Amino acid sequence: MLLLELISVTKIFGGIRAVDNLSVTFEKGQVTAIIGPNGAGKTTAFNIIGGMLQPDTGKVLYNNQSLSGLNMWNIAALGIGRLFQDVRLFKKMTVLENLMTAFQNQRGETVWRSMFIPFAENKVEKERKENSMQLLEKVGLQDEAETPAEKLSFGQQKLAAIARILATDVKLLLLDEPMAGVNPAMFKQLLNIVQKLTDEGRTVIFVEHNLDVVRNLAQRIVFMETGKITAVGTPQEVLNNPQVRAAYIGRGK
Amino acid sequence: MNYFFHIIIMINIYIILSLSLNLIVGMGGMLSICHAAFYGIGAYIGTLLMVNLGWTFLPALLVAIIGTAILSLIISIPSLRLKGDYFILGSMGFQSIVFILLYNWTDLTRGPYGISGIPSPSFLDLKISGLPLWFVFSTTVMFICSMFIIFLMKSPFGRTLKSIREDELAAAALGKNIPLFKIKTFALAAGFAAVAGMLFAGYMRYIDPTSFTMMESVFILSMIIIGGAGNIRGPVIGAIVLVVLPELLRFLGMPDAIAANMRQIIYGLAMIILIRCRPQGLLGDYKFT
Repeated sequence: MLLLELISVTKIFGGIRAVDNLSVTFEKGQVTAIIGPNGAGKTTAFNIIGGMLQPDTGKVLYNNQSLSGLNMWNIAALGIGRLFQDVRLFKKMTVLENLMTAFQNQRGETVWRSMFIPFAENKVEKERKENSMQLLEKVGLQDEAETPAEKLSFGQQKLAAIARILATDVKLLLLDEPMAGVNPAMFKQLLNIVQKLTDEGRTVIFVEHNLDVVRNLAQRIVFMETGKITAVGTPQEVLNNPQVRAAYIGRGK
Repeated sequence: MNYFFHIIIMINIYIILSLSLNLIVGMGGMLSICHAAFYGIGAYIGTLLMVNLGWTFLPALLVAIIGTAILSLIISIPSLRLKGDYFILGSMGFQSIVFILLYNWTDLTRGPYGISGIPSPSFLDLKISGLPLWFVFSTTVMFICSMFIIFLMKSPFGRTLKSIREDELAAAALGKNIPLFKIKTFALAAGFAAVAGMLFAGYMRYIDPTSFTMMESVFILSMIIIGGAGNIRGPVIGAIVLVVLPELLRFLGMPDAIAANMRQIIYGLAMIILIRCRPQGLLGDYKFT
């Protein structure tokens, strides 16, 4: 079932075609890796899907609905979640608070309930706390629940960020270089968790430079250079593609 | 004793102002220098209703709160696009415009002559006049306002506001409607500032634009910088310290003329030292970057 479709999407920054007439589809439940050299337009494509940027031409369809003109928060509410390259946890807030913030449709966020019936939220907040702890257990961070996010190691922060996105009831995950900068000790743990993300029917698209990770996780690879897709297919097909090897992988891999 | 009551009454008014500005600055992470404008708008709306139309305190207070909150949209909506320094400039602009209107729209506000004869608030048979009653009344209002602000800060609304302060992009990517939260925060802070304005008007029984200048906005902001931002203790301590300090100077035998300038020098020095050595203020949670 088609979940996400980019149709002739173009984005130009001052003369440079960051994304050039890009058309690609993503099936539900699939794990796709987007690989390519720096400047290929991978992050720009993510930004367009996530609503941080509007395409200059073309459109993005999610569940057959156009995302054109929608704000980031509207797009997030549709179930599209983004893991940023620089993680972006709420630094001064605890890990638990980070997750509690992420839950959708919190009635306690309205002024009326916050100011005039503050105790009405207590029961729901308790449930959120339990759900948050369950998510933290999934990523192995249950002991760090009350730790300010900035005190975690980079790898732990990534795990926390994944748990946070899971709290949003996400359907399509956009992971921007999930394994980058993670020290070897954390590597396996993170890899495990990213693998499990799809177990529950979610769709994952991730950008990665680490080809071992790509081979391990991806069912499908999209290869981009200079804003265009020049190869799409199974890992076998793409990673053995001579053009891809020449432009990106190099000899001997 | 009367002197003591007066100090406490002023502290109460400024606690309401600093806690409400903290919603914008400490919780929301938006540096605003127009809080005195809201303080003044609230005071003037209520005063005009009471003096010109004979309204009683409570209805005038309600309209002052709602009116000031609505008028805050004039600054909050355009400011949504402004980041950092430009946002501060925008708030400065709003503050200046409000002062200029209050000062020059003499048909409405009587400009620099001010409005006198503001009636004391009265509830059923009780008239709040005289320092002891004002002490009790202002402390009660301060506690009520603080209670609401604390509820806000500790609720999911407050938590989401902090998340917007920490990382706006990440919060948006989690589904938070950033402009809506910012607008609501401004309106809430403005509403509370209006309450402070009404207390001030009812207590002094006279208001004029010189009480609601940019300097006043900076004064309220410095309570947050010195006392601390983001939590509850910080702004409260800041309000107490900055109201009490000039009075202490008086006790040091300094004549009023010099004391006023000394006060400014001390505030300036205190802010510089604190921002340099302890950016989160005396008791605050949040450091300005």
